[in-house]
Amino acid sequence: MTFRQRHLALPVAAAIVAGCLAPLAVLVAFSFYEVEDFELVPAFSFRAWGELAFSSTDWFLIGKAVLSGVATTVFTAILGYPVALALTRLAASGKGLAVIVLLTPLYTGEIVRIYAWRIVLGGEGLVNTLLQGVGLIDEPLKFLLFSPFTIALVLTYNNLPFMVLAIWVSAEMVDRRLIEAARDLGARPIDAFFRVIFPLTTPGLAAGSLTVFALSAGEMLTPSLLGGTSGSTAMALVDNLFGTAFDWPLASALALALLATLFLVASAMAGLLLRLKGARAVVGRV
Amino acid sequence: MQRFTLNRRQMLGGLAAGAGLSLLGPMGRASAAVSEIVWATWDSNGHPEYVAPFEKATGTKVKLSFLSSEDAQFAALKTGSASDWDIVNPSLNGAWRYIKAKVLKPLDLSKVPNLAHMYDVFKTTDKVKGEDGATYAIPYLWGLNPIVYRSDIHTEEPTYSTLFDPKFKGQLAMRDYALESIAVAALHLGIPRERAFLLTSDELAEVKKALIAQKPLLRTYWQTIGDLTNLFATGEVTAAFSWRVPYDALKDKMKVAMAKPKAGIMGWCDCFGIPANLPDEKMDIAYKFADYLLGADYASTIAEIGNYATTSSIIRDKLTPEKQEAIFVDDLSVMQNFMWPVAPENYSEWLKVWNEVKAA
Repeated sequence: MTFRQRHLALPVAAAIVAGCLAPLAVLVAFSFYEVEDFELVPAFSFRAWGELAFSSTDWFLIGKAVLSGVATTVFTAILGYPVALALTRLAASGKGLAVIVLLTPLYTGEIVRIYAWRIVLGGEGLVNTLLQGVGLIDEPLKFLLFSPFTIALVLTYNNLPFMVLAIWVSAEMVDRRLIEAARDLGARPIDAFFRVIFPLTTPGLAAGSLTVFALSAGEMLTPSLLGGTSGSTAMALVDNLFGTAFDWPLASALALALLATLFLVASAMAGLLLRLKGARAVVGRV
Repeated sequence: MQRFTLNRRQMLGGLAAGAGLSLLGPMGRASAAVSEIVWATWDSNGHPEYVAPFEKATGTKVKLSFLSSEDAQFAALKTGSASDWDIVNPSLNGAWRYIKAKVLKPLDLSKVPNLAHMYDVFKTTDKVKGEDGATYAIPYLWGLNPIVYRSDIHTEEPTYSTLFDPKFKGQLAMRDYALESIAVAALHLGIPRERAFLLTSDELAEVKKALIAQKPLLRTYWQTIGDLTNLFATGEVTAAFSWRVPYDALKDKMKVAMAKPKAGIMGWCDCFGIPANLPDEKMDIAYKFADYLLGADYASTIAEIGNYATTSSIIRDKLTPEKQEAIFVDDLSVMQNFMWPVAPENYSEWLKVWNEVKAA
């Protein structure tokens, strides 16, 4: 990187510091404050951190965020690979169209999508009506809507494009001759995938995983409006503590604990993926 | 490049004009009537047609700024991010925290003549008064929070215990709101309404058990009233602790009704308040607006269109019996049965219980 290029990165770096690190510093400070009569009083109190440490609810919700993020990442990766690999085989014009189609659901607002899911999955919705119509079920399948299943389904659907795009970009860089050589030497398609394609696309998988994990672990609206009584999230609790409870120190401590946990899990995920043999080869080559 | 130059010129011109106007601004305010006031309120309280008579009479435009939640309103006032609001909308039950946080101005009630028509239950409430004895908010709009239910499915009028009845598993909904949901559970457990918002720690523990046992019976917790209306409309829910909105929206499309449980009817009431930092030159128009909210024009329009009653009796006797019933002023004894949801001293304990219930 030349001296000139480094300078070009400075405004971005400054924006990251101002937009991310500075608010984090404020959160750290608030977490040691006290609240008296709806006033934040500067102090060096461990009240919020103490409460957080012994709150099983808070840690349960942090764990739930991690689980939700990991599960969505795994589901989107499993579903995303076939789609991404299919994209690489399309003609150039087809690829453009396919990417537009892939991203189409994201052009609608999240609230619109949420209410559309209710219409599709509800007791009197499209799926239940169809299944009843063909005689497969007598009573509506209630678990389709307002359940952990719904949260997993919708988070997977919402985040799939991010995973597909990341894997696709990586898959486009794989030398086709390596796959052909593997097949010529007797590898079954599944072996060629696991021993050639998968290792060489792990940088894309890592990028997709980090994106999907961050987006889904911090998701609040979808669980809240589609998850029914199982829709509570750590983010909603942070929101509740900042707003209704006006307990900014505890909200700050919880937000920081959530952030640190998600950061650690994301780092571990990235570390594991990039440690794979193929990934090291690709990253090393770059 | 040509396009950019033109835009930049336009922008600079606009900035210059803006700077000029801002210099003229103080003079304009000093010499003429206030041209606009900003009213932060709920979208159901502030349709443009509700304020049109005021705008016509005073020549002051009322700009509506709709609230997303009361917490957001309080936070905006507290953090100073709502500097353009001229009139705000604290709830009667939440007024105390605005007063305690010193974000409202004390009011001179002699400047609101229509207070004379206010129902006694609102006129005599202490919830809008500070420890200094001054009044900081004026109740202007009220209503009841009933149980809305599908009358074709619930043949008997529901009580709060219906919301805990396994017979209706998967058809019920509660609001995602600690204050009301915990009180509903307390009433279901037989705790008298006078104490429903003053629960001891032991009672809170019992309520928590009841709410956790209720979870499998619920279809969901509703977040907004539009959300609940949608749940009724799509057949997901047949009974819920509610606002009246789903009833009004759906009564012509399906068999819905409102139940007012004898255990206690939870009321809501919105108040007029003036932010502590409102400039003096806007005080007169703010008081005129308070008087308008308690006057006949606002009361008639909001009763007709929104099915809400103001805290003033000014038009009650001119309404048809049907309209009186619709806005709950046909039988004024209902006011003796009100329960005003008031956040208790140990509200943080309530919030903790509610979060534990939801995470259970």
